[in-house]
Amino acid sequence: MGSGLEITLVFVIFLGLLALGMSVPFAITLPGILYLYMHGGLPAFRGLGLVTWGSMNRFTLTAVPLFILMAEIMQQSGLSSRIYRGLAKIVSRVPGGLLQTNIVGCAVFAATTGSSVATAASIGSVALPQLIERKYDRKLSAGSLAAGGTLGILFPPSLAMIIYGSFTDTSVPRLFMAGVIPGLMLTAMFMIYIGIHAKLKPEVAPVILERLGMSDIFRAMTDVLPFLVLISGTMGGMYAGVITPTEAGAIGCLVGIVISRIWGDLTWKLLFVAIRRTVRILGNILFIIYSAYLFSYAISYAGVGEEVTSFLTGLKLSRFEFFIALFLLFTVLGCLIESLGMLVLTVPLLYPVLGQYGIDPIWFGIIVVLFIELGQISPPIGINLFVIQSIWDGKLKEVVIGTIPFHLIMFLLLFLLMIFPELALWLPSHMTAAP
Amino acid sequence: MPMEDRRSAAGRLLDNACELACAAGLLTMMALTVSEVFSRTVFHYSLQASDEIGGYLLVAITFLAMPVAHSFGTFHHVEFVQARLSRRGKLLSKVIFDLIALAGCMVLDWQLIRFEISSFRSEDVAATLLRTPLWIPQFMMPLGATILCLALLRTICSRSRQLIAGEDR
Repeated sequence: MGSGLEITLVFVIFLGLLALGMSVPFAITLPGILYLYMHGGLPAFRGLGLVTWGSMNRFTLTAVPLFILMAEIMQQSGLSSRIYRGLAKIVSRVPGGLLQTNIVGCAVFAATTGSSVATAASIGSVALPQLIERKYDRKLSAGSLAAGGTLGILFPPSLAMIIYGSFTDTSVPRLFMAGVIPGLMLTAMFMIYIGIHAKLKPEVAPVILERLGMSDIFRAMTDVLPFLVLISGTMGGMYAGVITPTEAGAIGCLVGIVISRIWGDLTWKLLFVAIRRTVRILGNILFIIYSAYLFSYAISYAGVGEEVTSFLTGLKLSRFEFFIALFLLFTVLGCLIESLGMLVLTVPLLYPVLGQYGIDPIWFGIIVVLFIELGQISPPIGINLFVIQSIWDGKLKEVVIGTIPFHLIMFLLLFLLMIFPELALWLPSHMTAAP
Repeated sequence: MPMEDRRSAAGRLLDNACELACAAGLLTMMALTVSEVFSRTVFHYSLQASDEIGGYLLVAITFLAMPVAHSFGTFHHVEFVQARLSRRGKLLSKVIFDLIALAGCMVLDWQLIRFEISSFRSEDVAATLLRTPLWIPQFMMPLGATILCLALLRTICSRSRQLIAGEDR
């Protein structure tokens, strides 16, 4: 059997297992093991022990559990309702009202959690009941929350960026900083869209204007303050090159516990719940990462990586054509593969090609993360669609329709990043190196 | 009935032990990393070991959290085919998936045990200040993989019993 046919067969098995409903980590591991066996029989398994140890004993990856724990602490302590309340007052006069709060709330919460699901679930559970009660447009409400949630992996600390960094040996702090400007732009673009939509169709966002005194504004600011403390404490240290992402995660957990105790409802019991939930989430995420390393090992054992690289290089695509090819690949994959799976399966194959096309790995990381964001709101498996659907009484169809305009905005940002790579690369080029 | 409720006493004990170990590992990782930052910032002295121990803890958490995630059903999976199956079809497909997964995990476990034995025999130590005998942190890999195999075996037995007893109807 030719190697092209073999890899196709392995991918078909992977997609088949995935589509049939097998757990993602097993659906990645098993084709990898099968592929190894097809290529080298039982002796091919001998490297598995060393590969396992080498792939998981990585300091870069230790940031993953810490940031997940930080997100869980924030989520359990109910701080999301405080930030939503504070922001609702601050942005109440912007056209779109609470819909704008959804986006800003997601952006701010994202900057402390690094997880799209945690962001969508936390802000969504606070926002949706209020939006429905105030008769906001259901589709736009759900769409803004599902799409707003995806900001979780574009703003630092992004779990997707940590994983990308560990697979490609790219600096995680630089990746984090590269996500800031595109993240702010995406937030602004979402808000502009909502603002224009609300101006053109005022019924989608009923305006309830409250007179705000200085004390209201002060109270609103104190609701947002804990998050600003956390963001500046962790991201500021990384930008200054004083701490590594893992250290930022550990400090974030500690500061998160303190502010959740002071400003939120964190108790020992809730902290224990957060830790237990973190362990269960980690079992899934770390297994996916591990299985992807096994899959990469199988591919490199068979020499497919080199073949894919030479095939893609042989196509002699221009940078723009390469980008379009990526665009098509990730758009299709986003509908078929769960987001983290998409990242860990494609990056080891595509990363070696970047040098041939003169593509900056930091820029590519941001592009991949944006495609993952798109995947998270793409039917049929976009995880944020299900997160939002699970916390309200609406239909999945309404959430899907609501996200369509946000899809288009994300495509627009992707093209802007293609034309102006500096949007992602400017900030990392001005930061101090991490210790 | 959720998988969680169908676990035997031994299964629950094993899951709880793994969960507790992971929680301890997570808190140790946090404490160690914060201490490193504190020591470096305040005393200009690096503990030198937080990276190394952090890596070992990550390996332990990875492998011990896998069986916990399986037992509590937190692995991601795609639902669009599953949603169209009958209850019996769902259960049957899960048993088949678990059987295939068990075969794969047994291969991994076998290789991780071989690796552990080889590491122990060759007395490999980390090229760091601590000179940690590597078989100690590496032991968590076959341990976690074995517990995962047991967890898979448990769910296969439990789901098969449900199928045979017709509880799926």
